[in-house]
Amino acid sequence: MIFAPVKIEISALSCERDDRLLFNNLSVALESGQILRVAGPNGAGKTTLLRTVAGLFGIQDGVIQVNQLPLQECLDQIIYIGHKPQVTKDLTVLDNLKFLTDADEACLQKALDNVGLKGYHDSLVKELSQGQGRRCALARLWCVEAPIWILDEPYTALDVGMAKTLDARINEHVAVGGICLFTTHQPPQQLDYQILELGDVD
Amino acid sequence: MSIEKRMLVRELKLIAARPGDIFKPMWFTLLVISMVPLALAPDSQLLAEIGSAMIWVATLLALLLNTEHLFQSDFSDGVLEQWLFLDRPLAWLVGVKLIAHWLFNVLPLILITPVAGLMLSVSTEVLLALFITLLVATPALTCFSGLGAALTLGSSRSGILGVLVMMPLFVPVVILAAGVLIRATDGSDTLPLLALLGAFSVIAATLVPVAVSAAIRLNIGGSN
Amino acid sequence: MGWRWFHQWGSPRWFYERARRWQLVCGWLALILLTLGSLWGLGFAPVDYQQGNSYRIIYLHVPVAFLAQALYAAMAVCAIVLFVWKMKLADVAMQSIAVAGFAFTALSLISGAVWGKPTWGTYWVWDARLTSMLILAFLYLGAIGLRAAFQDPDQAGKACGILILVGVVNLPIIKYSVEWWNTLHQPASLKLTEKPTMPASMWIPLLINILGYYIAAAYLVLGSMRATVLERERRAIWVRELVNGA
Repeated sequence: MIFAPVKIEISALSCERDDRLLFNNLSVALESGQILRVAGPNGAGKTTLLRTVAGLFGIQDGVIQVNQLPLQECLDQIIYIGHKPQVTKDLTVLDNLKFLTDADEACLQKALDNVGLKGYHDSLVKELSQGQGRRCALARLWCVEAPIWILDEPYTALDVGMAKTLDARINEHVAVGGICLFTTHQPPQQLDYQILELGDVD
Repeated sequence: MSIEKRMLVRELKLIAARPGDIFKPMWFTLLVISMVPLALAPDSQLLAEIGSAMIWVATLLALLLNTEHLFQSDFSDGVLEQWLFLDRPLAWLVGVKLIAHWLFNVLPLILITPVAGLMLSVSTEVLLALFITLLVATPALTCFSGLGAALTLGSSRSGILGVLVMMPLFVPVVILAAGVLIRATDGSDTLPLLALLGAFSVIAATLVPVAVSAAIRLNIGGSN
Repeated sequence: MGWRWFHQWGSPRWFYERARRWQLVCGWLALILLTLGSLWGLGFAPVDYQQGNSYRIIYLHVPVAFLAQALYAAMAVCAIVLFVWKMKLADVAMQSIAVAGFAFTALSLISGAVWGKPTWGTYWVWDARLTSMLILAFLYLGAIGLRAAFQDPDQAGKACGILILVGVVNLPIIKYSVEWWNTLHQPASLKLTEKPTMPASMWIPLLINILGYYIAAAYLVLGSMRATVLERERRAIWVRELVNGA
């Protein structure tokens, strides 16, 4: 499967939170096949930027367009994985995944196998380790088809093996015309990304 | 499976995983009802007189108790923000959630009212009226307390604020319901009042989800 | 001219400076009207043939009761302005009006109770008007409490806006249902007196006082809004200069 060309245009985006200017007049354009790593120290506004691009945080000043359309009309083309767990502890791994996607059962099974949760399909998430819970949240990247991925600290709590699997999956995604925006404090080795440095506003 | 169906299935599975969420409010209702004769007098005539109103208030409080945190765990787990990426309007999804909540969490509260009625010697006719009134009125109450829950999602020190903020809006429902019970007691026609209550519920069910979705959006916008 | 005028309302500094003058005008006007109306009403208006002198509380009670309801409507208008035009000043107004509205509602409840004691022999009865006033007080408290629960003023403003809009839709329903409830339970034994006609020497001072209290409310709300604007804009250069006395 190959995605139709996608383009995200962020123009003159500014954001102030708790009386602090996080970013001012920020303009970035991303096209199919590109990976962007948002970098910067703690509190620089990485999460806020990602949540703004995902449509979760209201735009204070500036414009974000996806394929020339306003962002709010294109949310169904986005997968956002934030740093909250994004899974319900009292449900099984499979049920968690089933709620957020209408992909068929076989596809979900395969996605879970890919993230190394084979044999855990019917375990409750609260019985899993933190890293396994994270894998469960990430499994969506294998079974939901959306061209724009916005991943906030996806590598947190993952072991080396899973981090590599995730790198490979991101490469696969951009190879078929997807876009990936992410943040991390552990720079991944196997990705070819651009960097957007935040945190030097004042 | 459509998202609506998935939502209902998920709700059922969550109840299976935490059955206490259903039983605790029912337990609460019966406890409150047991306190009435203890605080008043075990005089069955007196109890019968105020019984239906007491059951109404107890059920109302139990409903508030189990709706107060309607969106809380999904919000803090970050599951609620994923609703925004589903291809349905948020208000619609909220509506489905409220219906599921009413079916699985509020309905059981209504189903135990006959037991509470027996405990307070409420007559069969009044009990029937009480039962129907609750069926017709609780959708509106569920919507409003859901709004209270949504408004206070993001604030860590809200406590029971959601309940306090929404309770004044219950006034018309409580008054109409009391009217039904009074008419049922003296045997006059309750249908017009029930129709009014029903209309109130229908209007609340169509409009309040929009307000709830706005409240959810603004709370998601303020959290990381 | 229209648009420029509209945009100025978006500028906190412009508002802060203008409001000082408006406040001054309102303050003096209110003082004059209230002195005139109250002296006339309390000192010179004729004694009521039924209630004696205790009726004179209407010169306080009626204006504050009017205001209690009018301010909720004003708050709802601010909520609409906030959502439609994203005007932050509307949120500041909402915040100030909520507090003033609660104060006037409480005042009307208290003055009603004070009047009730000599007239009905009790401070409180579950009369329809008293009950709706009490619920109105709870609605105001809700708007104040909800705001206090949020850290971010923008979020707090939006949450309060939603609450107030839902409240204002419900308010007439609450009012009518409470009136109906009153006829349902109580045969009309206790009723607020309905005068067939009031002589002009009674209602003219009342009218003056109503106007006076409205303007006094504007004075209070403007003052509170100015303080709120200063607090919210505390990082702005103009506020720093102002505070440092530059």
